[in-house]
Amino acid sequence: MAAAAAPMRVPGMLDANLRVRGRVPYAMDLNVVGMLHAKLLRSPYAHARIVSVDASRARALSGVRAVLTGADLAERDDIYPYYGPIFRDQAALAMDKVRFAGDPVAAVAADDADIAQAALELIDVEYEELPAVFDVDAALAAGAPIVHDEPPRLGQTFADIIVRAEADTNICNHFKLRKGDVERAFAEADHVFENEFTSPPVQHVPMETHNCVAWIDAGIINVTTATQMPFAVRASLAEIFRVSQAKVRITTPTLGGGYGAKTYTKVEPIAALLAQAAGRPVRIHLTREEEFVTITKHGVKIRMKTGVTNDARIVARQSTCWFNTGAYADIGPRLIKNGGYATGGPHDIPNVWVDSYAVYTNLPPAGAFRGYGVSQAAWAYETQMDMIAAQLGWDPLEFRMKNLLEDGQAVMTGEDMFDAHFKELLGSAAERIGWDSAEQPQRTGSKVRAKGLACIIKGTVTPSTSTAAAKLNEDGSLQILSSAVEMGQGAETALSVLAAEGLDLRLDQVSISRPDTDVTPYDQGTSSSRNTYSMGTAVRMAVGDIRTQLLELAAAELEASPDDLELVAGRVQPRGVPDKSIAYGDLVRGSRSGNLLANGVYASKGGLDPETGQGIGSVHWHQAAAAVEVEVDLDTGKIDLLKYHAGVYAGRIVNPVQAELQTEGNIAFGLGQALFEEMIFDGGQLQNGNLGDYMIASMEDMPKEISLGILEHIEANDIHGIGETSLPPAMPAIGNAVYRATGVRITDLPITPEKVLRGLRARAAQESAE
Amino acid sequence: MPGSLAFYHPTTLEDAIGLLGEHGDEAKVVAGATALTILMRQRLVAPSALVSLGSIPGLDRIEEVDGSLRIGAMVRHRDVELSQIVRARIPVLAETFGKVANVRVRNAATVGGVLAESDYASDPPAVFVALDAEVEVRGPNGERTIPARDFFVAFYETALEPDEIVTGIVVPVPAAGSGTSYHKFVTRSSEDRPCVGVAALVRLAPDGSAADLRVAVGAAAETPQRFPDYEALGRGHVLSDDIVGRVADAYAGAIDTLDDMRGSAWYRTEMVRVWVRRAIESARDAAASGPAAH
Ligand SMILES: Cc1cc2nc3c(=O)[nH]c(=O)nc-3n(C[C@H](O)[C@H](O)[C@H](O)COP(=O)(O)OP(=O)(O)OC[C@H]3O[C@@H](n4cnc5c(N)ncnc54)[C@H](O)[C@@H]3O)c2cc1C
Repeated sequence: MAAAAAPMRVPGMLDANLRVRGRVPYAMDLNVVGMLHAKLLRSPYAHARIVSVDASRARALSGVRAVLTGADLAERDDIYPYYGPIFRDQAALAMDKVRFAGDPVAAVAADDADIAQAALELIDVEYEELPAVFDVDAALAAGAPIVHDEPPRLGQTFADIIVRAEADTNICNHFKLRKGDVERAFAEADHVFENEFTSPPVQHVPMETHNCVAWIDAGIINVTTATQMPFAVRASLAEIFRVSQAKVRITTPTLGGGYGAKTYTKVEPIAALLAQAAGRPVRIHLTREEEFVTITKHGVKIRMKTGVTNDARIVARQSTCWFNTGAYADIGPRLIKNGGYATGGPHDIPNVWVDSYAVYTNLPPAGAFRGYGVSQAAWAYETQMDMIAAQLGWDPLEFRMKNLLEDGQAVMTGEDMFDAHFKELLGSAAERIGWDSAEQPQRTGSKVRAKGLACIIKGTVTPSTSTAAAKLNEDGSLQILSSAVEMGQGAETALSVLAAEGLDLRLDQVSISRPDTDVTPYDQGTSSSRNTYSMGTAVRMAVGDIRTQLLELAAAELEASPDDLELVAGRVQPRGVPDKSIAYGDLVRGSRSGNLLANGVYASKGGLDPETGQGIGSVHWHQAAAAVEVEVDLDTGKIDLLKYHAGVYAGRIVNPVQAELQTEGNIAFGLGQALFEEMIFDGGQLQNGNLGDYMIASMEDMPKEISLGILEHIEANDIHGIGETSLPPAMPAIGNAVYRATGVRITDLPITPEKVLRGLRARAAQESAE
Repeated sequence: MPGSLAFYHPTTLEDAIGLLGEHGDEAKVVAGATALTILMRQRLVAPSALVSLGSIPGLDRIEEVDGSLRIGAMVRHRDVELSQIVRARIPVLAETFGKVANVRVRNAATVGGVLAESDYASDPPAVFVALDAEVEVRGPNGERTIPARDFFVAFYETALEPDEIVTGIVVPVPAAGSGTSYHKFVTRSSEDRPCVGVAALVRLAPDGSAADLRVAVGAAAETPQRFPDYEALGRGHVLSDDIVGRVADAYAGAIDTLDDMRGSAWYRTEMVRVWVRRAIESARDAAASGPAAH
């Protein structure tokens, strides 16, 4: 086959102009004739038995078209009202009991949202409060109240996940990794360190909250929804309504941000059930306050034991991770696997032992969040790296360099590392920040400056599948049918580039569809930094097939061998002979097929052994480093970020502008989580569930100087996802810099000014005591 | 009918006051609506009548009257921030309003709104208290003025009667030789409300001692805190590190600090100590580098 065309470069985002002018339609902009508006009544209690629900007054309110309660769902056998990607442990409305403050117990569809809201106040629910558990220690204590007292209802989606939910405990699942002999290695190590690290639950805060419109039309269940996973939602609705997947249609316009919050089923079941009950279309659109209790990042406690030799080699690591997965499993059982094995870090460690638990509690459910467990793991191991280096008087850079993985060494899940660039990334990050291990913290008045480093490894979901179809039209233009979700990350632009360059077309000759499960082929989902790579591969395969078809058609026409032909600017020609070229459109018309059609199927292989966690953890490994310079005010503990360098390996950079923006976005996410983001609960009640009380980073919080090192190795002929990769190193790099500046080591995120000041006071007290 | 809400747009203060009297507890004045919409959405207030001040002429002026600036209740934060006359005569006021939230909020939020809301974690109140400003209010029995110090009574509570409206605030231009400062200290995002905010005014006598010293601390307790007795520790003295430290310690000791997500009571006390010192130092240095004292 002829050689692939040279990579195409594109400035920015194709629909940037429309976005800036507010002309991109979102799910919330859809208006369906006769549409009703839904509101949910939510439990005020973290854990309670539902004694009775009386909705009669709400049903009688004028303008109310449908009211559903858990009991209404429980009594029907034409539906199976449960969902959840691994365990079907979440009911569309709570039935026997509520498991977190915010758990929906009843739903109303009415002519407008105000009426629906007013109807909620007419629903009388009698609860019997139950003892509740909020943190993993309490949840695992003997005699703890049990969040789910029935055995888990299983789905078939994830064949690779072994269910180890333990009966009569709050253990939702357990992932194990066993590599080498840690016991012996610890015994032989020169130094063994054991520390505990915690990360709190935080919010995704997508600008667009969860919303959808559902309607049932001629037996077809239609839902237009803001989801990162149209096919997962389709499967779940088919299961709930006991219909075939062919009778469910999910369409997804552009999302106003996802960050993992919009993976798997969320508000779609209740919207569709209400639409069915009312016989009319129903919109549900969560308020910001509801968004806060819909899905969160996992709060985690990690106990990490690491053994090193005197020559700075890491020989063993044992970690126990307790992920607080909240009241429902969501994707927790899978996330604890990625987060668990990630504690092995980007290091060549021969002996690794991991126990990672998802623990049910009476908090809102935790699920996928940009970084997918790896942020929590990296906070532990990259912080501990510096603690070890400080204790033993080593340079944190050199200590890392000695242990970072190289090609051919085994990663923690056992397979050989390839295309390793950790040393390159960390080395250039250190250089960009002016790292010098002998450098003392620089003090001016009450302010002191210092630098910190971190380097991480992250897998992408493996095995996974993406498929795409291509249609070459009779005017030579190309349409890609794909279920990739555009959520501001630039999926459309990236796939356009990959499609156009495969046939040497201009970008305006290519279109990328939005997901429509009636029309566009299957995709596992837009998550795990996988789209440009996985869907990109499927698109390239489909386009490659079209290319072959064009070459064969032209070969017949020109009486030449396909090998002697080339594609140039929408035409096929004998190499170097433009005079004899034929336009694609002419070839399509000549073929009498109306359009050329092709499919691309990307399906990766892999998976881990359930007893050892060994196998293939990831088709390839995402890699990033960060270097930061902070300034700490010793009087207040306040941290300013002066300089930040983010290094990330991209393989090939498909869209430079978007790659930079994704990386800058990771810096904003990372610094917020490093310095102040935290969902604060009191007795299971969220104390800061709105954007007045919960802060995310603003423009002014960004580091004063940012440099990006998006590393490209075209010759590797691979695309690495960069959507999440540069996030996990942010928190430990900042924490490490704060330590070097102040001597205060914070192990529980976020690193607030108050924690730093308390640490400074404790040190001062200690010094004066000595 | 649920959610029914009457929205009035009176064109005179008398009509507005009349509407408040007529609807009693059910009515709420609405200015920039940045605070009120949040309270209504969170269902913390549920008025049935909104009385907008937006159509009443004359409330959006900034003017200089007898050595003071008079700022109308409907002047927006952004207007104070950018006003030439405010910048020239009382620059600390422009700076403080410029530090509130973000430009979107500042373009809507009004001076009357921030006063009447009496949120403990707002920035401007401490400055008004430090500058001895007086709030002008109007009710069914006519006008009265309330010193800013007495205006803020408790959490979300002011000295306003239910049918009174804030019409403006009069801020005396600091005497020549004065320096002023406002330090806003945030512990989370830079767009957060203050953990503590400290306003200070220092007027230097020709001998370099402090002829006047005023310090008001915001966001640390229910209302802005000012202690004339502790200001007196500095008055008449050269504001050495030692003297400034004593004033700062006295404030830190005197304020019964509150505990919230921006900081514990202990931390706030420590921050009062730090920022009172820094605010006095900034005001002192500004006074020293400003037009010669006389
Ligand atoms: C995102 C955000 C961030 C913020 N950050 C800060 C910050 O950093 N620092 C800070 O200081 N503040 C901050 N604020 C508060 C903001 O400054 C106030 O919301 C604003 O000043 C209120 O003014 P308004 O005109 O919008 O008042 P409105 O919302 O219209 O009214 C507020 C209250 O005052 C009453 N009221 C208004 N005007 C009058 C009047 N003339 N007479 C009598 N009663 C009246 C209303 O009835 C209502 O009870 C923030 C607000 C938001 C939304």
